[in-house]
Amino acid sequence: MVPTPPLSVHFVNNALATAAGLVDEDSDAARDVLAQLGAFLTYRLRGARTVSVADEIDHVGVYLALEQARFPGRVEAELPAPATVPAGTTTPGAVQAPVSEAVARSLQRGRGPVRVAVRVAAAGDAVEARLAAPGARAERVRIALAAPAPEAA
Amino acid sequence: MDGGLAILAVDDEPRALADVKRLLETSASVDRVATATSAKEALVFLSGGRYDALFLDVAMPEIEGMALARLLRRFSDPPAVVFLTGHPDAAVEAFEVQALDFLIKPVTRERLESALNRVERHTHGEGTPPPRANAGAEPRPGAATAGPEVVAVDNPKGGGKRLVRLDTVAFAQANGDYARIVCDDGRYLLRMPLTQLEREWAGAGFVRVHRAYLVNLGHAVELRAQLNGTAVLVMRTGTEIPVARRHVASLRRRLHA
Repeated sequence: MVPTPPLSVHFVNNALATAAGLVDEDSDAARDVLAQLGAFLTYRLRGARTVSVADEIDHVGVYLALEQARFPGRVEAELPAPATVPAGTTTPGAVQAPVSEAVARSLQRGRGPVRVAVRVAAAGDAVEARLAAPGARAERVRIALAAPAPEAA
Repeated sequence: MDGGLAILAVDDEPRALADVKRLLETSASVDRVATATSAKEALVFLSGGRYDALFLDVAMPEIEGMALARLLRRFSDPPAVVFLTGHPDAAVEAFEVQALDFLIKPVTRERLESALNRVERHTHGEGTPPPRANAGAEPRPGAATAGPEVVAVDNPKGGGKRLVRLDTVAFAQANGDYARIVCDDGRYLLRMPLTQLEREWAGAGFVRVHRAYLVNLGHAVELRAQLNGTAVLVMRTGTEIPVARRHVASLRRRLHA
């Protein structure tokens, strides 16, 4: 099984600061950020366990929504279509953490928008995150999943 | 300066920047707030006007906050630097670049005001020292009552040192040649006898109440007399600290109890 990656304190603090910054300007948006952060933390802090790859992809979606709130207009996200997600299991954060590291790298390189496309590899044993930003070399990160569940006979 | 402080806040995250801007603008200590979303933009502001302090994020594109702080040290009369970041691990580096304070986002108003107070004292030339790590190796000769505001303790997770703000420390307990430090976020060991801590932390509100306990009175909520002439000091976490008979009277005087 893929080991559980540590939670990024930096990310959590900055998401909280985003919510704080929205309180006066748009309290509904602030509430949404807090609700998303709550979902993010609940998923990651429930302890060591296996999760479905579909749940982990949903978790990546929550993470990317929080990045979109932190950096308005800078993060474009594309997640795999549900039908393409394999039926295997993985560890909480196994996909989200490396995607997060790659997004942070891209955001640090410049001030323009970053496009993040997360796709399931053809063999179904990995997820690929492709990051593209204007003026920067595209980055592709391959994230191995645990072995997919055997197909039903 | 015309009474209030002029502050430049720098952060590439617009909403976090809006948050600190709002807090700064509503502070009685602050006269003027400008904001920049990058280090380059901050340099443009600095070239066009005088600022008492920068509230600076660490992780930013192109030029990071730490690099900007290093660059500012080359100025003949640099503004004070207060880091405001989501990166708690950047504290040691912040002290190396002689930052005046180090705040974790999102910051409480109380903590922000404390940083502004520090900036005011620095700006008025009162010689406020930057918060610094106290590794506990050597006692400072003639240690003043002001004492350190941050202490470096052994980090039980992964070794190294962890920086702990003294105002988060509830009490220290003698533990052989070490002191066990109990603070808001955990317990740590510090290689220093309690007598030395008593001397160095006196200015930060710490009082010896027992041969084994040095207490931060800012964390105490109740003093309970005992029938045998001793007392118990109840901390806000509910922890009860024994007060030795010989310390009861002086503690009562100090607390006007």
